[in-house]
Amino acid sequence: MMKYKYIGQPYNRPDAISKVTGKAVYLDDVRLPDLLHTAVLRPQFAHALILSVETSEAEKCPGVVKVVTGKDCKFRYGDNIKDLQPMAVTKVRYIGDPVAAVIADTAAHARAALDKIKVEYKPLPVYTDARDAMAKDAALIHEDMDDYWRLPTLKQASGTNIANTYHLVKGRGEEGFDEADVIIEEEFNYPLGSCAAIEPHGTIVWFKEDRTIEVWSTTICPFIIREDLAHSYDVPVSDVRVHTPDLGGCFGYKSDVTTEQTIAWIASFVPGRPVKWVGTREEDFTSTLLAHGIRTKMKMGAKKDGTLVAIKSIIYHTGGAYADTAVNVTIASTHNSTGPYEYKHCDLTGYTVYTNTPAVGAYRGYGHQESQIASERMMDLMARKLGMNPLEFRKKNFLSEGKVNAVGETMWKHNGNLLECANRVEKMVFGKPKPAEDEQFVYGRAMVTVMKSPKGAPFSTKGCYMKMNNDGSVNINMGGAEVGQGLRTVIKQVAAEALKIPPEQIRIYTEIDTQYSPYEWQTIGSMFTTQGGRAIIRAADKLIAGLMSTAAQVLKTDVDYLEYDGEFIFLQNDPTIRVAVADLARGYITSDGITIGDLAQSVSDARLPRYSNPDKNGQGSIGVTYTMGAQGVDLKIEKKSGKVIIDHYYSVFDVGQVINPLQIRGSVLGGVLMSIGAALTEEVVFDKEGRITNPHLFKYHIPTYKEAPVQTIEFVETPDPIGPFGARGIGEHSVIGAAPAILNAIYDAIGVDLFEIPVTPDKVKAALEARKELK
Amino acid sequence: MAERMTFTINGKEQTVDYEPEMMLLDVLREVLNLTGTKHGCDNSTCGTCTVVMDGKAIKSCNTPAAKAAGTSIVTVEGLAKGMELHPIQKAISESGAVQCGFCTPGIVMELYGLLEANPDANEVEMTNALNKHLCRCTGYEPIRDGALIAQTMIKETRK
Repeated sequence: MMKYKYIGQPYNRPDAISKVTGKAVYLDDVRLPDLLHTAVLRPQFAHALILSVETSEAEKCPGVVKVVTGKDCKFRYGDNIKDLQPMAVTKVRYIGDPVAAVIADTAAHARAALDKIKVEYKPLPVYTDARDAMAKDAALIHEDMDDYWRLPTLKQASGTNIANTYHLVKGRGEEGFDEADVIIEEEFNYPLGSCAAIEPHGTIVWFKEDRTIEVWSTTICPFIIREDLAHSYDVPVSDVRVHTPDLGGCFGYKSDVTTEQTIAWIASFVPGRPVKWVGTREEDFTSTLLAHGIRTKMKMGAKKDGTLVAIKSIIYHTGGAYADTAVNVTIASTHNSTGPYEYKHCDLTGYTVYTNTPAVGAYRGYGHQESQIASERMMDLMARKLGMNPLEFRKKNFLSEGKVNAVGETMWKHNGNLLECANRVEKMVFGKPKPAEDEQFVYGRAMVTVMKSPKGAPFSTKGCYMKMNNDGSVNINMGGAEVGQGLRTVIKQVAAEALKIPPEQIRIYTEIDTQYSPYEWQTIGSMFTTQGGRAIIRAADKLIAGLMSTAAQVLKTDVDYLEYDGEFIFLQNDPTIRVAVADLARGYITSDGITIGDLAQSVSDARLPRYSNPDKNGQGSIGVTYTMGAQGVDLKIEKKSGKVIIDHYYSVFDVGQVINPLQIRGSVLGGVLMSIGAALTEEVVFDKEGRITNPHLFKYHIPTYKEAPVQTIEFVETPDPIGPFGARGIGEHSVIGAAPAILNAIYDAIGVDLFEIPVTPDKVKAALEARKELK
Repeated sequence: MAERMTFTINGKEQTVDYEPEMMLLDVLREVLNLTGTKHGCDNSTCGTCTVVMDGKAIKSCNTPAAKAAGTSIVTVEGLAKGMELHPIQKAISESGAVQCGFCTPGIVMELYGLLEANPDANEVEMTNALNKHLCRCTGYEPIRDGALIAQTMIKETRK
């Protein structure tokens, strides 16, 4: 195995000190001259026609500069389906839809005036679940859906609330079930949740007199926002400048355009002055992106010997009032609903459905945990029916070398050693005796195997700009958003290895600013290390090639006789004939002042190789690279309360190559705890009128310090050919296994099958009662 | 600005004007431009607004500004001495406890409140203190690691 100097070492993150001293600048910390503040009015109804909006009283309130409505807004926006408007015009479609806004000298004045805006509504029927919105007689949430621009790969069902249907057929599809000896069918639910980053969303927009637009936002896709605003306001893309300051967590919902178009619409009414909005925690729940909302109906067919033959999945996605951001989550959820197993025949359907709930967008895991809760529970149910050990059954069907996945991609050895991951977790979970039931608790354990593909796009590239300074130090500039995942450390280590210079000599960019930053589509899909890392290596190679070319002139020889070691470029056959790399950074300045060669700088980019759109059967090169792994859990159920307590959680993933052991452990630790939260407590709850009943962190319970279990985390390293030095993506994968592992362990504990999360104490209590009846 | 008060902030006495409905967090961030203290949830659940008032960690988002009059307040900006980080900052920055960093100022100040008063805080006291803070990134393990390293460092300096 190749030994690396900087890869695999626990370097500390470059932003750690600015964050512990309170000096990191987040969106709400940005200070601008002559700043105005805005507050946004949200409707009383989740689905209603707007009959009138009366703003004159609000305009008279202290400090108010302007009151804005959606009247006369002519444009729609969206990257996949242009179904969004910055402010409601004729109707509201969910409880957080922006209806009007007050611009004032302070945020408090803006908020105070909201009460004075009078809106008359005509309420319409409200649907908070895809199934209800799909009913034959359901009222339409988007009457003009057929007129919306959409990607050519997307297809709405006219006259319904179905924004898109994705359908994948592999082999003989549903007909393939005729080869199965045993068929089972169940339905699962992964309800709506929130990323709930500790930093809420916020945006500042400034329309300037020179017709440029400057934006600061809590976003991981400043380049998409730039293109979107340029299109909406008819200015060149180059005239929109978007900054991403430090981000206080993302987990998905700061991707895609979220609040920026709304704040831009508001700011466009006060040209010349910047306008700032920072969401309250309530707005962060009601008016940004939600997560999940996926019901999976799954049918699985296997032969008696345990060979899987056919799968049929139907994904009912409660996509929210606008489907632009949900539609790709549905697609990812649908084609990854197989889990890491090969089926000869697949029939997978995903419906993205308009509902009167906030739009669903990305959440760490991007559709995978939502449908793999089904596949991983089904694997246990099927094993039980076949009388097989659930792990042996899984192993028999793994997407190992030579197998073909649902989208038609052949798996290679370099896609990872899932078997090794599974064997390790098996030993961790089952290699010790299980505690016997006692007075207070009953114990359960289980393990699952999972996989995730990235979410690509045809232009999902990541750029890198590298410049060497006259002391040999290097500045690196990229468009990747640091959300806490530690990509700045990854850049530093990959660049150090590629340039053969110490990480201490490399400085990484802080904010992203579309005026200076190299293009990046958006920092999503666990792809930064893979694609960004490749871009860094390409830039480093170009930089070194430039240095070599200058050195060849200086040393009066040919490039291929020279060698580079980070410090010097020297003759291979006589290393004493050499030139210091630092002396080449600005070109080489000779003693008579004549300069030879070019500045030591380079530009590059990288995307997934041969990524393509899905074909008419939903197949194609749409995954490209996968990370697989196994997870397991030891839990106990408190019999009196029904409370599930996670004692120990285990994760083993084949990540290709660990770049930074401290950071990768941190990433998995956090991802696991998020997903335990989803499995045990987190659900955004709606009443019949479509109002969210728990839009606060004291009601929407995310895991606390005391609830964090002990975790064992290990990595297998089968090098990947795409990522830098063999590394694969791992940012999202840790969230996939918890829900099915916990449900399977609950069955192990009490012999009751549960099919939805969160498994709150009352549900487990009911299951315990059911168990008594079974006895 | 209808009200006026005097208090000590990071060791320096200051007189500030503020609106009566302001919370201490608003005074720190909007009046004094001390933006290290963060706003995360509006109702004292997340803990990122934590500062130390008269030696005790409190949540500044639900502490009315008027209550700060005459007190001595330390914020995250007040811990480092020039380029020298406080042991808590040093430990937390090196243990992997920092990812997005948005909860970090609150956690640093919680530990400052706890360990300055009681460097020998036991596990229960430490757990109860850290349980007042939400972190969405780290799974808390590296925060515990950092807190324990900080405690050892502080004890060393007091020997």
